[in-house]
Amino acid sequence: MNRPLYPAIFAAIVTLVLTSMMLGIQLKTEGINLTLHSASEFTWYGIAGSTLAVFLFQLFREQLTGLVTLPELPSVASLLPEGKKGDRIKQLGIAFVIAAALIWPFTEFSNRGAVDLATLALIYIMLGLGLNIVVGLAGLLDLGYVAFYAVGAYTYALLSLYYDVSFWVALPLCGLLAATFGFLLGFPVLRLRGDYLAIVTLGFGEIIRILLLNWTNVTGGPNGISRIPKPDLFGLEFTKRVRCSAEDKLADACNVPFHEYFGIAYDPSYKVIFLYLLAVILVLITIYVINRLTRMPIGRAWEALREDEIACRSLGLNPTIVKLTAFTIGATFAGFAGCFFAARQGFISPESFVFIESAIILSIVVLGGMGSQLGIILAAIILTVLPELAREFQEYRMLMFGLLMVFMMIWRPQGLVPKSRPHLELASGDKPQ
Amino acid sequence: MNFKKTLLGLGVSTLMLGATLAQAEIKIALAGPVTGPVAQYGDMQFIGAKMAIEQINKAGGVNGEKLVGIVYDDACDPKQATAVANKIVNDGVQLVVGHLCSSSTEPASDIYEDEGILMITAASTNASITEKGYQLIFRTIGLDSLQGPFAAKYIIDRVKPKNVAVIHDKQQYGEGLATSVKSEMDKAGINIVMFEGVTSGDKDFSALIGKMKREKVDFVYYGGYHPELGAILRQSKEKGFKAQFMGPEGVGNPDITAIAGAASEGLLVTLPDSFEKDPKNAALVAAFKANNEDPSGAFVFPAYSAVQIMADTIKAVGSVDTEKMAEHMRSSSFSTPTGDLAFDAKGDLKQFSFVVYNWHMDGSKTAVK
Amino acid sequence: MLEALLYFVQQLLNGLTIGSTYALIAIGYTMVYGIVGMINFAHGEVYMIGTYVAFIVIAGLTTLGVDSLPLIFLAALLISMMVAASYGFTIERVAYRPLRGAPRLLALISAIGMSIFLQNFVRLAQGSRDIAMPSLITGGWTFGSVDTFEASLSYMQVIIFVVTLVTMGALTLFISKSKWGRACRSCSQDLGMTNLLGINTNNIIALTFVVGAALAAVAGVLLGMYYGVVNPYIGFIAGLKAFTAAVLGGIGSIPGAMLGGLLLGTTEAMTSAYFSSEYKDVVSFGLLILVLLFRPSGLLGKPEVEKI
Repeated sequence: MNRPLYPAIFAAIVTLVLTSMMLGIQLKTEGINLTLHSASEFTWYGIAGSTLAVFLFQLFREQLTGLVTLPELPSVASLLPEGKKGDRIKQLGIAFVIAAALIWPFTEFSNRGAVDLATLALIYIMLGLGLNIVVGLAGLLDLGYVAFYAVGAYTYALLSLYYDVSFWVALPLCGLLAATFGFLLGFPVLRLRGDYLAIVTLGFGEIIRILLLNWTNVTGGPNGISRIPKPDLFGLEFTKRVRCSAEDKLADACNVPFHEYFGIAYDPSYKVIFLYLLAVILVLITIYVINRLTRMPIGRAWEALREDEIACRSLGLNPTIVKLTAFTIGATFAGFAGCFFAARQGFISPESFVFIESAIILSIVVLGGMGSQLGIILAAIILTVLPELAREFQEYRMLMFGLLMVFMMIWRPQGLVPKSRPHLELASGDKPQ
Repeated sequence: MNFKKTLLGLGVSTLMLGATLAQAEIKIALAGPVTGPVAQYGDMQFIGAKMAIEQINKAGGVNGEKLVGIVYDDACDPKQATAVANKIVNDGVQLVVGHLCSSSTEPASDIYEDEGILMITAASTNASITEKGYQLIFRTIGLDSLQGPFAAKYIIDRVKPKNVAVIHDKQQYGEGLATSVKSEMDKAGINIVMFEGVTSGDKDFSALIGKMKREKVDFVYYGGYHPELGAILRQSKEKGFKAQFMGPEGVGNPDITAIAGAASEGLLVTLPDSFEKDPKNAALVAAFKANNEDPSGAFVFPAYSAVQIMADTIKAVGSVDTEKMAEHMRSSSFSTPTGDLAFDAKGDLKQFSFVVYNWHMDGSKTAVK
Repeated sequence: MLEALLYFVQQLLNGLTIGSTYALIAIGYTMVYGIVGMINFAHGEVYMIGTYVAFIVIAGLTTLGVDSLPLIFLAALLISMMVAASYGFTIERVAYRPLRGAPRLLALISAIGMSIFLQNFVRLAQGSRDIAMPSLITGGWTFGSVDTFEASLSYMQVIIFVVTLVTMGALTLFISKSKWGRACRSCSQDLGMTNLLGINTNNIIALTFVVGAALAAVAGVLLGMYYGVVNPYIGFIAGLKAFTAAVLGGIGSIPGAMLGGLLLGTTEAMTSAYFSSEYKDVVSFGLLILVLLFRPSGLLGKPEVEKI
């Protein structure tokens, strides 16, 4: 009994110190004077309660640990039957999910807000999948991924502002430019290892943001760029009235609004649904491309490099080229996502590309289970939808978000859906991931 | 945080939800930052709007229906602002008072215009918001493009400084104002020796102050909010840099005195007419005081007026038909605590007057004659 | 000529003031990194909490009618070091110890989560408004004449230098001479081996967090009194800067953190002074990238040995 007593007293004192100073006493400015206020009685009861709880928990820790065990999440792979049958089920499942995602906005289970939120989640899925190449597959810690996202977004915004370029023309350019930036940054910094790489990418992200902020003549600085046009569907626009210059009108080169073309009443939700479907398609393409890449020699090289750089070098792989491709391809997807983000939002400013955004994308990758696509999709959905659902508790939203991140790392460090490697098994034949 | 109060709040909002089902009501979304660094400006807007709702309801509501204010938090983040706007659409709310930050108002107003929701902002002062030719977007506060030239005129006519520094916080509001003040002074041929941005959230301005000292700056115009200007004032005093400072309504907050102490004495601030000093509003001020709320914030009364204009318009039109309401708002004038207001075609106030105040080290202010 | 020199000295002093507090915070990063090999992202928040506690203590003592400045200053320093140390200890216990031995990325995410949590915890507990405090220690020396350029050095700046120097000296003595310090150094060399030698490495790691947090609290008290303002968001920016300083000097090296902090502070001040304060962050990150390109382990960091 004596042994756990001292640690328990210690823990209780620490808890008291932690809570009483911050929660128990409040600083307030009254008029121009700084005054101290004691928190309400209720809060003090809370503080006393938590101190007591910590004390008791530490005291009876050994007895308690046997009682409460956190449930283990089942692994997805273990739910499926082995062999060919499992593959069929998996394929059917994927087809079902895709079909459901495409049909969902037209059903009565959706509304404008939900579809819009889903679109945002899809953007984060794209970003997560892109960063996954860099962090999950190639093992390079990138804390400035948001820079490429910003490059993509600003490419489309500026092209449409100054040269009236349409979304479809801009989309590949966004990817290309982001890739160029990825290449340019990657070239010098890939000599660095681990955490040095992390801080340099972080610095790079900040530099890009500050340059966008200070380059007021071109980017509008803090005013950002507004009225970025939404994408059109083969020349059909989803606005009420089409903006069109007088010359274009004469030449009959104006776009036609979607609803006029089909002779239906204007409904602003068409626009939202169209954006959503576009995002679904972009995400599907992203998933497909990355899936293919990981099975190509280059994809294997990324993972091999992550595991053991020296061995790779001995086997004749050029680590610089391998890392550079990972960096560049990862940046490309951020560019696409940025382009789409600018189009969806209609307004961008440097505020949208701060460091915390990089941190959120990184947590999507880690939370999902590094390297695992399904996990990243789940994590992106959770991290975008959860804060919105928790809007009722808006005061506590970010608090819970932070706590969740810590909790998830401790409870399930391998991520929601851990990555299963594509591998050959001699007994049951070829089994893709 | 006071947990009791929050629980109570939750309880009340549940009750309100319950009440929604029971009786016809007119919902007004109050959108602005509840969280985030500028939450205190959000408060100004919320207490003004809530007071208006309370008083209108007390007087029998609008056409027999009660007004209900629902607070939506955008944290002054453009991305969250669009999420909030969509949520307002989902919740079927037709009227919005907000948002606060121009960068949030901008993307949100797109959605409101699309969805036929009437929005009145009581705080976003950036000119570009009403320049898109929207029908349903209004504001009950003066524009930066008015305030800037007003401040510049005062500087040119009354202060006549030799070397001017124009500093801003690189945000939409601050830089916009600073640019407009600078261009007016350039026209008048005033010698501007520095035009520089600082990082909002920074605490150390000693290098900047050293530079201003070397340039023999005798007048500083700051475009931005009070935390940074407060720090600049405080550090200037410590470093022996003596110049006349001036700022917009974003710095006109008693907190600036708390930060800068004696250094805030003599600061010039352009503010909307201080409505709480108007004898006509004495009863209203007393009502705020009774609720233990501070009526002196720059956005309190504009937010009150916004709600009142909505209520008056609904009475006149007969229903919550936003297009008709917008038409009515453009064609009539309203008598509000912020004066008799009328809107122009863009949705801005036809006239809005600013006053230059002299700030004092006890947190009070006097109008400069 | 004299004017230009005075201006330079003034800006140098400004830079060194801010730089020495960066250094104090950076030591927390570097010590943790040196031993556990992880970036403690929540460290900036500990600094912020230290500032809050200092404000509470100072406001409390002034209300009680204590007017002896040294007493107030010492009390603020001691209490906020104690509270911050408790936070450092708890953070390590709750968020990092369960992840010992796991890939470093997990600990990083956990740290980012902890940082978000603490920031919002303080926001909820103390409100998001800026809390301000009047200056306790005013006055200073001036050099030069009013006609040309008058450089100034305030007493508070001197106090910052002195306290920073004393703290750094004490830390260096502690690390190099004491039994605990030797254990710390041993841990940073080889954690497993130290464990085998019968040293409780868990305690040493906890000690590292406690010392780092206490130093951040010292920075919090000093900067809190210097600037007189605190809000829940100051920790993030300061943490980022200090982290940059730690990497610049070579993460894992304590003299490196000091050098990095001073260098970063001076660079910022000089950029503002001779160029534009809009670009001071660009220049400091640019400097970091440049230094790392030529010295991939920072200025005083030991080059990593590849083990084959």
